[in-house]
Amino acid sequence: MKVEIFYTPGCSECVAAHAKLRAMAQEAVQEVEWRELNILEELDHAVELGVITLPSIVIDGELVFTSMPTVAQLRDALIKRTKARVS
Amino acid sequence: MFTIGKLASLTSVSNDTLRYYEQEGLVEPAGKSPAGYRLYDKDSARRIHFIKHAQNCGFTLAEIRELLALRGRDNACCGDVRTRAIEKKLQIEHKIRAMKAMSKALDQLIAECANEAQPVKECTIIAALERATVAAPVQ
Repeated sequence: MKVEIFYTPGCSECVAAHAKLRAMAQEAVQEVEWRELNILEELDHAVELGVITLPSIVIDGELVFTSMPTVAQLRDALIKRTKARVS
Repeated sequence: MFTIGKLASLTSVSNDTLRYYEQEGLVEPAGKSPAGYRLYDKDSARRIHFIKHAQNCGFTLAEIRELLALRGRDNACCGDVRTRAIEKKLQIEHKIRAMKAMSKALDQLIAECANEAQPVKECTIIAALERATVAAPVQ
């Protein structure tokens, strides 16, 4: 599963939140590809995925969060997708 | 202190636009003359210039109101404004893509209509647009 977080550089709160979310994702999902993307370096890719607010989280190419989720919200989204893959 | 007319000429904005900005809470008179006319100060002129520049960058009046609020907030930082600027750029990039797609669709229609002398009833552009209307979902 591929998780992409688009963030604005210089946001110290975001860096702290990313670390918590990443730790949870690596624990909750097997073989998670975690990418933290500086929006200014990945603008075209962000536009392709439909990102218009920051931060945004895209899971397997689908824009899922348009603001910073809580750890529980992201865990739910990841688990839901894992179950959908299995079934 | 300036009257609304003077402020309008200083900022190259019409009196009606200034009144509209006032209705929208973007600018406030600094006081009133003894005769009851609204009076504005240099800060009002600065705000109007700010609004105009922000509009040129694509910000809506609602977004400009937020930017003005951030400008006056002690605990706000440049990063808050920067994020809004980046989000605006993302919106603009989306619009550019949508416009390019429209332009491409028009290129196709124009290319399909090679015979200018054809009667309008047989016009391929009209026919294609009619097909598109039928295919569009009913709102």
